[in-house]
Amino acid sequence: MEGNNNEVTLETVKKAASTLSDHVIRTPVQTCDTLDLLSGRRLFFKCENFQKSGSFKFRGACHALSRLVSANGTTPHRLQVVAGSTGNFACGLAMAAELFGVTAHVVMPNNSPECKRQTALSYGADLTLCEPTAQDIAQTVKQVQDVTGAVFISGGNNPDVISGHGTMGLELLRQVSNLDAVVMPVGTGGMLSGVSVAIKSICPEIRIYGAEPEVANDAAMSLSKGERCTFARFPQSIADGLNGNIGPVPWTYIQSYVDNIFTVSEDEIKNATRLVWEKMKLVVEPSGAVGVAAVLSDSFKAQAGGCRNVAVILSGGNVDLQVDKLSEFL
Amino acid sequence: MGTNREVNLETIKEASCTLSGHVIETPIQTCETLDLLAGRRLFFKCENFQRSGSFKFRGAFNAVSRLVSSNSNEPTKRQVHVVGCSSGNYACGLALAAKHHGVTAHVIMPNNCPECKKQAVLSYGANLLQREQKDFIPARKQVEDLTGAVFISSSQHPDVISGQGTMGLELLQQVPDLDAVIMPVGGGGMLAGVSMVIKSICPEVRVYGAEPEVANQAALSLRTGERRAFSHFPRSIADGLVCGIGEVTWTYIRDNVDDIFTVSEDEIKNAMRLVWERMKLVVEPSGVVGVAAVLCDSFKARAGGCKNVAVILSGGNVDVQKLPEILKM
Repeated sequence: MEGNNNEVTLETVKKAASTLSDHVIRTPVQTCDTLDLLSGRRLFFKCENFQKSGSFKFRGACHALSRLVSANGTTPHRLQVVAGSTGNFACGLAMAAELFGVTAHVVMPNNSPECKRQTALSYGADLTLCEPTAQDIAQTVKQVQDVTGAVFISGGNNPDVISGHGTMGLELLRQVSNLDAVVMPVGTGGMLSGVSVAIKSICPEIRIYGAEPEVANDAAMSLSKGERCTFARFPQSIADGLNGNIGPVPWTYIQSYVDNIFTVSEDEIKNATRLVWEKMKLVVEPSGAVGVAAVLSDSFKAQAGGCRNVAVILSGGNVDLQVDKLSEFL
Repeated sequence: MGTNREVNLETIKEASCTLSGHVIETPIQTCETLDLLAGRRLFFKCENFQRSGSFKFRGAFNAVSRLVSSNSNEPTKRQVHVVGCSSGNYACGLALAAKHHGVTAHVIMPNNCPECKKQAVLSYGANLLQREQKDFIPARKQVEDLTGAVFISSSQHPDVISGQGTMGLELLQQVPDLDAVIMPVGGGGMLAGVSMVIKSICPEVRVYGAEPEVANQAALSLRTGERRAFSHFPRSIADGLVCGIGEVTWTYIRDNVDDIFTVSEDEIKNAMRLVWERMKLVVEPSGVVGVAAVLCDSFKARAGGCKNVAVILSGGNVDVQKLPEILKM
C-alpha cells in the first residue's frame, strides 16, 4: 500500500536511482551562449523534455509503481492504479504502468492539452475527464477507486514519486561541476521537494530555487508566509502543468530546503518558451520553460545575482502543435 | 584561391582541425518510436544544435578561416570582404563565421526566405541584400566590384565541402557498426563532403541522399549518370533544398553516393511532425528530409538490409509562427 508516512531522504532518492537505472533516460545537460548572455550567468539546462513520456514525471511514476508491484505480491496484471493529473503525470503513469503490466486509470481536467490525453491513451491507460477544479478531480478519482478498487497514486504527495523525481538532483550533481544553484518549475511540488532533499543532503551550499507563474503563486506565497496556501479554484496559467496547488507532503520539504521561489508573468513564460524553441532548438512546453523565465527575470538578478553556474530543469515538452494552441504562446 | 582544388580525406581532416573549438561536435540522439516506424535503428545527428542553427556553419567557417590565413601573408592589412548567395542557412553560417574572423560578410538572399534567417543574418552584422533568385548573380558581381569581396559558394567551394565533410568524421566516431548514412541534398555540399569521408575510410558503409520529389535534380542526375539542371527553382516546403547540385559537388556525388531517395511534401511534413512531437527537437522541413526518406517505402525496398542508419538532421531554422501552416497537410 502507498506509504504516506514514509520520509523522503537521500537514501530513498538513491534507492530510486537504482530502481530507475534501467528505465529512465539520464537526460543530457545542454548550454546556450545566447541565454547565458541574456541571464548574465552560465546556465545548464537539464533536458527532461527528452525523458520517457515527454516529461520528468515518468521518474516518480515509474519508481512508485515499481515499489507497489514489489510490495503488493499480486501479479502485476491484477493491479490497478489511479491518479488525477493536469497531464504529464498521467502520461508518465500510463507509460510506467504499461511497462509493468499494470492497469492505469487517469483522471484529467477537460481543458488539458489534447496531446497529453492522446499520449496517456496511447500507453493503454483508461481516461476519465472532469471539471478543472481540485475538488472535481478528487471526487472523480474517488469514483474510479470505488468502481475498480484501484490504488491511488498521488502525483505530488506520494513519497515514492517524490523520491523518483529527486533522482534528477543526483544526476545534476554529477553532470555539472561547480554548481551554485538549481532552478525548476513548481506545481504540486513533487520535483522541487525531491530535488531539494537530494541536493541539500549532499551539497547544502547549493541554492535551490522554485519558479512559478504569478497567477498560480501558491508555493511562493506559502514560502513567504511560512504556512501552506492554496487556491480554491484552479488558476489558468499558460503553464498548464503548474495550475495545481502545492501539496502538503512536498510543502514540508520545501519549507525546510528551498531558498526562494521566483514568480513570473504569463508574458515572461511565453517569451522564455519561444527563446528555448528558437535558440536552443528544443521543444519545451510553457510549464517546462518557467525555470528559464525565472532565471531571466529581474527579481532573480536582484536576489540570486551571485550565482554563476545555474542549472535549470526543462521539465517537459508535451505541447499541442495545432494553430489555436500554438498561437497562444507564439 | 582556386576553386578547382580537390576535396579528399586530407582536406577534410585539416578542416576538422580548423573547426576544432569553434564548431559544436553535435550529439547523436535516438528515438524508439522512429526505430519502430523505420524498422531499423536510427542515429540522428543533431545539426539543428550547430552554431547558427544548421550544419552550414562548418563549411563557412573553414572557408573564411582559410581565406583569412592566406591573406595574412599579404603586407597590406585591408579589410576582408566575402560574399555568398543563399536561401538562408548558408547566409547565417557565413555571417557568423565572418563575424568571428572580423571579416565583412555580404549575403544575398531571396525575397521570400524565412524571417528568422533574415533576422539571424542581420544580428551577426552582415550586409543583407534581398533579390529574386534570378538576380543573384548580377547582385553578387556588383558586390565583388564595389568591395573586392571574395565569393564563397555555399556548396561548390572546396573548403566549404571539406568543412561539411567533418560531419562524416564525427559520425564514424560516434556510431559503432554503422551500415548507412542518409542526409538531405540541395546544392550537394554536405553529401559530397560526407560521402568522401565515409567512402575513404569505410567504403562498405552506404551513403544516401534524400531530396524532395519536386526538386529531384540530384536523384535524376544520379540515375542517368549525367548532371541535370532545372531551368527554374521548384517550390518545396523544404526551402533549403530547391537549389540544384553543381558541377563540383556532382563529381563527388556521382562517385561516392549509393542512392538518392525522393519524398513527397506530405512525407516531409509528417516527418517534421514526428521529430517535433516524439523527439522534442526543433527542426526545419529541409532538415528532416532524411527522416522522411528513411521512413518511405522505397528506402525499405532498396536499402532494407541496413540495420544501423545515421540520419543527419541538418538544421532547425524555422519560423515558429508559421509552424501550424507548415504542418498542415
